Amino acid sequence: MSVLSAERSREIEIHRYPVLVYALVPTLAVVLQAWLPRLLGRFAWFDLPLVVTVFFALSRRNPIQGSMLGGILGIFEDALTGHAIGINGIAKTLVGYLAASVGILVNVENYAIRLFLTFVLSLVGSATYFFVVRFLLGLTSDTNWLTELFKAVGNSVIALMFFPLIDRAKIRD
Amino acid sequence: MESFVVRYRNLLVLLALLVAQILGLAMQVRRTNSGQAADGRSVSLIRYWANSIVSPPERLLHYSGTGISWLWNNYIDLRHVRQQNADLEKTVDRLRLEQAALLEDAKQGQRLQALLNFQQKYIYKTLTAQVIGSSGTDQSRVFYIDKGKDAGIERDMAVITPDGIVGKVRDVFPHTAQVLAINDQSSGAGVIMESTRIRGILRGNAAGQPQIEDVIRDQRIKPGEKVLTAGGDEIFPRGLPVGAVDSVVNDPERDGFVEVIVKPAAHLDQLDEVMVITSTERRFPPDQQQDMAESEALKGAEAEKQKTSEGMAEKLPGLIDPSLPPDQQPLKDTSNPNPVSRPPVAIHPDRFTPLSAATPSVPTPAQDGQGPPVTGPANAPATPKKKPPTPKPQTSQPEAKPGTTPPAAPQGENR
Repeated sequence: MSVLSAERSREIEIHRYPVLVYALVPTLAVVLQAWLPRLLGRFAWFDLPLVVTVFFALSRRNPIQGSMLGGILGIFEDALTGHAIGINGIAKTLVGYLAASVGILVNVENYAIRLFLTFVLSLVGSATYFFVVRFLLGLTSDTNWLTELFKAVGNSVIALMFFPLIDRAKIRD
Repeated sequence: MESFVVRYRNLLVLLALLVAQILGLAMQVRRTNSGQAADGRSVSLIRYWANSIVSPPERLLHYSGTGISWLWNNYIDLRHVRQQNADLEKTVDRLRLEQAALLEDAKQGQRLQALLNFQQKYIYKTLTAQVIGSSGTDQSRVFYIDKGKDAGIERDMAVITPDGIVGKVRDVFPHTAQVLAINDQSSGAGVIMESTRIRGILRGNAAGQPQIEDVIRDQRIKPGEKVLTAGGDEIFPRGLPVGAVDSVVNDPERDGFVEVIVKPAAHLDQLDEVMVITSTERRFPPDQQQDMAESEALKGAEAEKQKTSEGMAEKLPGLIDPSLPPDQQPLKDTSNPNPVSRPPVAIHPDRFTPLSAATPSVPTPAQDGQGPPVTGPANAPATPKKKPPTPKPQTSQPEAKPGTTPPAAPQGENR
């Protein structure tokens, strides 16, 4: 049977990138996430650190690396806000883990699957964020799910352009 | 056991990461609940690292954007326009572009002029800063400015615009600072309503609108009423504009209380330049300082003069009548413009003449010891010296009996 096992396919399809990409892309995502909302105001419907987390988690297909990258980016995002550190960290840790776990099971070369995964994981990230804010911290938050939906769409559109761009830096065996 | 760890390694790492962050959250929340407003050392360190990583490229982006815009407006765009200058329509387009740029410059000039006017009107020591970044999420209303510790910014300094207050400095880094806007849920400012004089605490609500909390329901609170800073929070100086009452809603958690939604006077979502109040001590302009110095000098001279006159009055007992209260002393009696210093001299003094020597046959109460001694004014003059009796029986004045003391002569009078 030509069907590969999950472990086998994982070994085959792990993407690797230069160290500079691992360092620069997440940093740039955090910087742009802090800078662009100044220009776009309330129309900044995207979460670049989440897109980067999903991308690297899907590419690396390693849940531990995905979780850690998500956690670090989330904590950095939290550090730039006035809120407690860990809210975005928890949300993106979960997103990174789920993305990598799903990446093991599906063909991530397919753009449609990547788009769909980015969309769903954005909503999962938003839901986790509001869960932490409302139920763990007991804070009130103005949950506008329409905005979160727009944000998920925005993330998917960015992923559509961003994923092929970074894939060019992929190290080919 | 080893196989369990290997098999569920991913899940265990995920759980460890989640538990670690939840514990970190719990510690931060506990710290906040115990009244310690500032972050812990480790949290501050994380914020510092994040800021150190994000701020330099953010500043670079900000200034690059300004530079590119300048380059585009001053070189590339003009060059491009010159190449197509033959066509009149395109020339008009170019002029329109330039006009738009000039309009933008004019708006910026007006904004800066307003800042300058505001600085002259509110004479606190302020520092102008540019907004270079935001928190990146609409759940947190903080932003970053391009001035930090090296420019003298400190934590809890007030941040304002000419329109109204904006927020306060939350964290200070070497070259940047984080500002917590007044519409953030964790912010707080003491405010007062201008006409009703009702006080309250201004905080942001979940929707990002500033609202005054802990206000007892009052029919006088109407939309449009101006809200000013109360000055009790030791951050914002008193009387700065905050905004106007937008609406009044009942507090869902407490009966009898309302939440007053405030429309901020400053455009919190369109901030470019802000001012940080670095000192709340009033700084007076030079002309006012000169006036104050002159006033102080005059006040000092007046006090010196009064002190001297009082000293002289004490040294001259004749000018003080111990029988009179201090406010009726001759020196201080200003009610009579022509005070009489001595009684008129009687032409024909007799025993009824005031202050004349009493006849010894009529004892005074003081003499018989049954009343207080009657004392005349210390400076009261004696009656004029009686002339030698003349043998004129026609006079109505009774003759002095033998042994009586004639009225005292003026003796040259009291001089």
